[in-house]
Amino acid sequence: MTRPVEVVDLSKWFGQKVAVSEVSVGFDPGVTGILGPNGAGKTTLLRLITGLQVPSQGTVRVLGVDPRKDPGVYSKVSLVPEDEAVYPALTCRDFVELNASLAGITGRAAVDAVLEQVALTADAGRRLGEFSKGMRQRAKVAAALVSDPEVIVLDEPLNGADPVQRAHLIEIFTELGRAGRTVLVSSHVLAEVERMSEQLVAMVDGRLAAEGTVGSLRAAMTDKPRIVHISSDRPRELAARLVGLAGVERVAFAPDGLEVSTTDAPGLAVRLPVDAAAVGARLSRVSPSDESLESVFRYLVGSR
Amino acid sequence: MTGVRLTRHVFGQLARTKRLVGLTLLAAVPGLVAWIAGGGESDVDKLEIYDIIVSNVSGATLSIAVLVLGAAAMRDERDAGTLPFLYLSPIPRWRFAIATWLGASGVAIIVAGGGWLVGWIGLGVGSGDWSHAWAALPAYLAGAIGYSAIFIPVGYLFSRAILVGLAYVFIWEGILTTLISGIAASSVWKTALSIFADLRELPRDALDALGPVLPGVGGGVAKLAGVVVVSVAIFTWALRTRDAL
Repeated sequence: MTRPVEVVDLSKWFGQKVAVSEVSVGFDPGVTGILGPNGAGKTTLLRLITGLQVPSQGTVRVLGVDPRKDPGVYSKVSLVPEDEAVYPALTCRDFVELNASLAGITGRAAVDAVLEQVALTADAGRRLGEFSKGMRQRAKVAAALVSDPEVIVLDEPLNGADPVQRAHLIEIFTELGRAGRTVLVSSHVLAEVERMSEQLVAMVDGRLAAEGTVGSLRAAMTDKPRIVHISSDRPRELAARLVGLAGVERVAFAPDGLEVSTTDAPGLAVRLPVDAAAVGARLSRVSPSDESLESVFRYLVGSR
Repeated sequence: MTGVRLTRHVFGQLARTKRLVGLTLLAAVPGLVAWIAGGGESDVDKLEIYDIIVSNVSGATLSIAVLVLGAAAMRDERDAGTLPFLYLSPIPRWRFAIATWLGASGVAIIVAGGGWLVGWIGLGVGSGDWSHAWAALPAYLAGAIGYSAIFIPVGYLFSRAILVGLAYVFIWEGILTTLISGIAASSVWKTALSIFADLRELPRDALDALGPVLPGVGGGVAKLAGVVVVSVAIFTWALRTRDAL
């Protein structure tokens, strides 16, 4: 089955500078976070996907077609650009209506609905030039959603939004993903991506560094020890048992237990209950302490 | 529907009051110059001065005014980062190109019409002849329509669109199409003048001063249509094959 968004062997260079290099990746329905430091090529990748830029090499397929050759697909594709780009002289309602009209949507119902969705109904009559950065971001999101697109591309959509606005927008994006829309969200803020994305695409220096779920990426890093946090009422006795286990590289005391660094996490999972029982220790919590997106990302960047 | 909305949007973005006033004043320069130059002359001389100045100066002022407009149609959107909102409209690129041209042409016609109006008033007040300047109006409008078609793709394709446009105006239109009669038909202003010359029924010696201009309304309109079709085709090609951002 064709994936909603697919790029194959995609490259883009500007003179001597390579912005995206031989990226092949597909995006399924749901929210996918595109993660990478500034200059990693995220924005260029999204511009290539939406047809705003022409690939130097490779192909882009969105809903089965190349958007450059078949712009009719834009009725099902929306973009929230990274730039703080709005028409300052237009009111928020006029701006959303403009995008609705350009997508062939008539009537006020769709406009009213998206303004409500981004909580801008009360401010719809104000000019965008009077809006805060966060409000302009929400107006752009409303403009993108007014055509009820199947593919939504969001380039750093939370820039400038305050914590409440961020939480609201993240809720909107995750809901769109649950509703079966293909949502691509780029960000260099790890915590944001972690909150809204089931899937992750990591880019570093224009290249695809990794793709998959955070857990699967972490699990694939077999050459890096995993740190497991163990909460127990008898940490000293437990540490003495664990330190001799195969694969355990380090055991450190933490405020409520131990932190064990191991290259054999599955082996530790098997042995830990046995050793705990042997010393009469109660285990109240066992969790990987470095499976966060940040640790995954640091590893990806550091390994290149 | 989408194309009409795009045309309205382009028109609205370009038709800013300050820009309209400034460019209309620029387009009005030949009329004002004719008014001033004909101050102490007889009424017949005033009409002749008007014809000479309109024929020789209007092409430059109008083309520069429409260059500023036409180049801004897409470049302003690109510079402001708002072009994606337009580019992602689900219409064929040729319709996108035509809709943009119609919007920019509308504003260019206002500017050109305003420029002509100043000259018409000046000539009418100065000479008492309120009909003489009418023959220049189609030339002004033809210039507005043709130049806007040319300068929209220039604005889309070149980061230094104004420089490229000025080179086109002064080197191509001003020098090459005057020296090489075979390419005179590609000059928007010479095409506009061919309409003006036909309507005015200028004498042969006056025509010689205009360079390789063959009078003819029908031929002028056909050449203008050709310029517009080629320009829209180039813009369509650019939209399909060049980076929008």
